[in-house]
Amino acid sequence: MSEHNEQEEEKNKKPKIYNFLRVLFHPHDFLGILSEDRYKSLKIRIVLIEAMLSLLPLFIVVTISYFWFQQILKDDFKNQLKWELENTKQSIEFFLEERVSILRFITSSYTHEQLSDQRTLSDIFTKFKREFPGLVDIGVIDADGIQRTYSGPYRLAGADYSDQTWFNEIVIRSSNLSDVFMGFRKIPHFAIAVKREVPDKGTFWILRATIDMKTLQKYASAINIRENDDVFIINREGVLQTPSRFHGNVLEQYKEIFSFPEDNLSIKEAGQSEGTCDICGYAPIKNTPWILVAVIRSSPYAKIPNIFRNELFFITIISVFFSIAVTIALVQTVVNRIKKADQAREAAIAETEHAGKMASIGRLAAGVAHEINNPLAIINEKAGLMKDILEGSRDMQQNREKFLSLISGIFDSINRCRTVTHRLLGFSRRMDISHDTIDINDALKEVIEFLEKEIIYRNIRLDLDLKKDLPRVVTDKGQLQQVFLNIINNAIDAVEEGGLIQISSYSKDEHFVRVSIKDNGRGIPRDKLKHIFEPFYTTKEKGKGTGLGLSISYGIVQRLGGSIHVESEVNKGTTFFVDIPILSETV
Amino acid sequence: MTEEIKADVLLVDDEEQFLKVLSQRMEGRGLKVDTSTSGEEALEKVKGKDFDAIVLDLAMPGMSGIETLKRIRSEHPDLQIIMLTGHGSVEKGVEAIKAGAVDFLEKPADMNKIMEKISEAKRKRVLLVEKKKEAQVKEILQSKGW
Repeated sequence: MSEHNEQEEEKNKKPKIYNFLRVLFHPHDFLGILSEDRYKSLKIRIVLIEAMLSLLPLFIVVTISYFWFQQILKDDFKNQLKWELENTKQSIEFFLEERVSILRFITSSYTHEQLSDQRTLSDIFTKFKREFPGLVDIGVIDADGIQRTYSGPYRLAGADYSDQTWFNEIVIRSSNLSDVFMGFRKIPHFAIAVKREVPDKGTFWILRATIDMKTLQKYASAINIRENDDVFIINREGVLQTPSRFHGNVLEQYKEIFSFPEDNLSIKEAGQSEGTCDICGYAPIKNTPWILVAVIRSSPYAKIPNIFRNELFFITIISVFFSIAVTIALVQTVVNRIKKADQAREAAIAETEHAGKMASIGRLAAGVAHEINNPLAIINEKAGLMKDILEGSRDMQQNREKFLSLISGIFDSINRCRTVTHRLLGFSRRMDISHDTIDINDALKEVIEFLEKEIIYRNIRLDLDLKKDLPRVVTDKGQLQQVFLNIINNAIDAVEEGGLIQISSYSKDEHFVRVSIKDNGRGIPRDKLKHIFEPFYTTKEKGKGTGLGLSISYGIVQRLGGSIHVESEVNKGTTFFVDIPILSETV
Repeated sequence: MTEEIKADVLLVDDEEQFLKVLSQRMEGRGLKVDTSTSGEEALEKVKGKDFDAIVLDLAMPGMSGIETLKRIRSEHPDLQIIMLTGHGSVEKGVEAIKAGAVDFLEKPADMNKIMEKISEAKRKRVLLVEKKKEAQVKEILQSKGW
């Protein structure tokens, strides 16, 4: 009973594990095929979970390292950009400072009067232009904003600058750098103006040189840029000071929205989705209204070197393959072990169940036999008395014969009952086992001789395959022969006329000799097969078999320390295997 | 029917019906039959009378067959006791023979067999008695040497 409970408990446990696994992992549910063989599905589930547990971190690490590496490249690139911008910015600053210094030098070397002389100015202009290309023209402007003298390709002498912003500014400051503008000349340029105070007269004059925007552009384009990148200069209002590739021409408004950096060079990053650049560098140029802008769109840093990517890919694939292979191998071993253990346990349970059943049936049989024997004895004696009386009396002559035959009928029945009860008792009996050293083949042959008549009569072919030199066994010959007799008898009953019975003997291993008795009869259906060793179970027609032969055989073989089992296929035949220990141990 | 045997037989069994019928049949065959339904009763009967054979059931409530057998044998070692049992077990049979029973029969037993065993028992008993008498005669002859 306790076994039954244990089984039920197990049944209750299993769904819990199943549910747990189901919660943990779903494919089991929607892949119906997995549930067909529970060991197979267990294998698949463990492999999937294991793979997930081992591959997930791997993928995470690989992904992180990939992006991390990309980030390093990006930072590296930013630093490089910063450095280039810094360099260019300094070059431009130096260039402008140089121009301002030269103009200062001229204003302090010459007086207003000297420079008002057209020839002197033209001379300076020519020399100046020779040393510093990019100079467009040069002019002297008085305190009223009127250009008094001018040297250059245009006719700008007498031009009035008094209402222009740069003029108003320079009144306060000593020098001024203008934005790029078209001005009267209709070419983009910028102007550098230097004020010279005349302290004794309380007035001032201005020397103003305009420089072609292209000079500035040259510096900007010195930065090493790629196809989609752009470098240009804007002023604080966002007006382009040099032409750009993608952001409009000179004096157009720079459309990107950005906050102007204060003083320091800054590198900013914007998302692609905002329609702006990936990386923008802003470098305000000191003492000027200008900002050097680099817009990098080509994202060269995104191109991780192939070697690194290939290596990463290769390592990942190998790891995946390796971990899955190892997992499968492990799972295969473990699950197969579990399966074997389960099977062994199931077999053991079945065996103990069977043994227990046989034992209890044996006890029951003994009890029943004893209880039946006593009333049977009474019936026997009463019938005997009736017979005695009838035999002794000379009266009722007519009914005498009839009575006697009836009584003999009763005796027949009693005899039949007696054989049944005696066999039943034999079933439960613990007999003493004799120990004979015998040759199994001889024992078999004796049994076959005993049955030979029946075999010949029914035209059954008998195929003997008895191995010579079988080890002699120590066992109870008489009982063993009874077993063979029972089984061969059954085989004879099972085959049709002209059927085949094959009897073979061979060494099963070093401890057992095996005798197999195979017939090509009608076979035993699976559901009946498990009952055939139970007492009173018979498939023979009524009155022909007691249903005790095989159960007694089973008991005998068990007692002799051997085992008996059967394989059968319907319409193909049945094979009985009897394993006899070479050295019998009395159980 | 076998030849008639003249013998005094005691039947011991707890089943009264069985006793009644069996004794009738035995009487029909010329035996003198006495019955008792328990071991205790049988012991009493043995004290008062000399039986040629005792047929004793092995399984009885109260004093068991084996117990009864041992007690009778201890008091009257030359009594011939045939065991009868519903338990057809060799083990019990061997135990009974060891305890001194002359034979062992399984229930339901054939009448002829019972008769055979009884006659055999009687022969043995006669032999024993004769031997005893012989011995007594010898003793007398030796002791009274006249």
